[in-house]
Amino acid sequence: MHVSALLVGLVLFLLLGFLWFGAWPFLRQDGIASLFASQWYPFEGLFGMAPALLGSLWVVLLALFLALPLALAGAVFNLELMPSRWQGFLRLGMQVLAGIPSVVYGLMGLWLLLPLLESQLELLTGRSLLAAGLLLALMILPTLMVMSEEALHGVRAEQKESAINLGLDWNQRLWRVLLPQAWPGIRSACLLALGRALGETVAVMLVVGSMDRLPQPWYNLLQPAQTLTSRIGREIGEAGMGSLHWSALMASGLLLAMLALLLASLAQLMGREKR
Amino acid sequence: MNTQINIESRQRTQAASSSLQVRGLSLRLDGRVVLRDVTLQLPATGITTLIGPSGAGKTSLLRCLNGLLEHWQGEVRIAGKDTRQWPGGWDALRRHVGLLGQKPCVFPLSIRANVVFGIQGFWRRRRAAARVEHYLRQAALWDEVAERLQQPAQRLSIGQQQRLCLARALAVKPRMLLLDEPTASLDPTSKHLIERSIGRLANELPVLWVTHDLEQARRLGGQVVFMCEGRIIEQGASEAFFRRPQRLESREFINWQVCDCGGPS
Repeated sequence: MHVSALLVGLVLFLLLGFLWFGAWPFLRQDGIASLFASQWYPFEGLFGMAPALLGSLWVVLLALFLALPLALAGAVFNLELMPSRWQGFLRLGMQVLAGIPSVVYGLMGLWLLLPLLESQLELLTGRSLLAAGLLLALMILPTLMVMSEEALHGVRAEQKESAINLGLDWNQRLWRVLLPQAWPGIRSACLLALGRALGETVAVMLVVGSMDRLPQPWYNLLQPAQTLTSRIGREIGEAGMGSLHWSALMASGLLLAMLALLLASLAQLMGREKR
Repeated sequence: MNTQINIESRQRTQAASSSLQVRGLSLRLDGRVVLRDVTLQLPATGITTLIGPSGAGKTSLLRCLNGLLEHWQGEVRIAGKDTRQWPGGWDALRRHVGLLGQKPCVFPLSIRANVVFGIQGFWRRRRAAARVEHYLRQAALWDEVAERLQQPAQRLSIGQQQRLCLARALAVKPRMLLLDEPTASLDPTSKHLIERSIGRLANELPVLWVTHDLEQARRLGGQVVFMCEGRIIEQGASEAFFRRPQRLESREFINWQVCDCGGPS
């Protein structure tokens, strides 16, 4: 057990070390200031991280905002309202959805979602933060639902029965007993789903538009934009190894890894607080 | 003729003053008969103790009375109203009939929040916070928790948690209490405190108390109902029941805590 923990720690250290080493030339030159710069023109030596960082944050928050209510509704429906012999089917369906490769979701987005957004919202192109958010919502929905259901399932039967004995109706039991009691598990599910959404590359790359500029205004989700992952995915093949461009992409990777680590640590901390 | 009228009139008077009337209550669970033709009346106030061996159907009977089990046959009337047609449905009935289980189950909230948890409506709960002391005193817990109402309820001992559950049930203002071995897992002090609290409450409302502890049933007084294999075998005043049980099964149960009553098919 200690050996495996050491191994995991070593791999993590090596990963971060590798990213840091690759990103160092860029960090030495631009440093923290690049986080707030909005211009990304590699051939002119401008490597502003703000558009991709904001794009990533918008996309994952939008995905969570859309997926969480649906996941909770699905989990509550499956657990509380569905006859027990049918419960397995929805769960199985969600597990199958969670296992579909992300490129398939990306292709679905390309062929179904983008034309739909273009026609319904009268856009020149459906490639946008909204498209990426919708697609990511669909992708994290199964994980969120299955984990939320597990959290709801973990609420002690005695607590539910106590609430029934006090005369609380179904709605009151849901909002005052089930969801609050399951909240630590749901919160962990959200953080893990955020981590997955943050790291998703191919599907997002296909629908986000890959436009390196800040949305105008900043809350406009209908414009093409960029995320950290889609930028790395699109440009890493073009950047010469060891160049400043390559180093800036490594810094993007380092930023992503730090954000993912932060989310995982938060999930861990909150899990410990729950216990 | 006059005798017939007198009997009917007495029955009507009894029914009117009775808080709970059960007639011909039968229940099957998974094809097995759990309750068979149970007929029972509870007086308007006082403790009625329900005793019997394990598997006699005591808990199932309580669960039928407050609607936790719904698929039974027969008739249950509370305060003259059929429970199946209770205004507001089973949830409203459960606010009328408080049930306290064997194991205490507090919510992971403060002691104060636990007491008012069952009260309907956010503002009513806020207002009821002023009466927390009253409910905790009724449950004989106030002196022990007065200084720490904001602390998590899980920090209380099991006995204190059970009394907190009693306070929580009382805050909903039930008109009847169903108790399912509420002191089974408690220390003697907590047991005594709960018995004393319920004894006081029984002056105002009817209490149906399931217990395996015959000494406790003797102490509680009031009425005793003896159940075995889903049927009511004997019922009567506690003192008379323990002094001279009428049925062989009751005598066997009192003497050796065994029951051989044939059982339902």
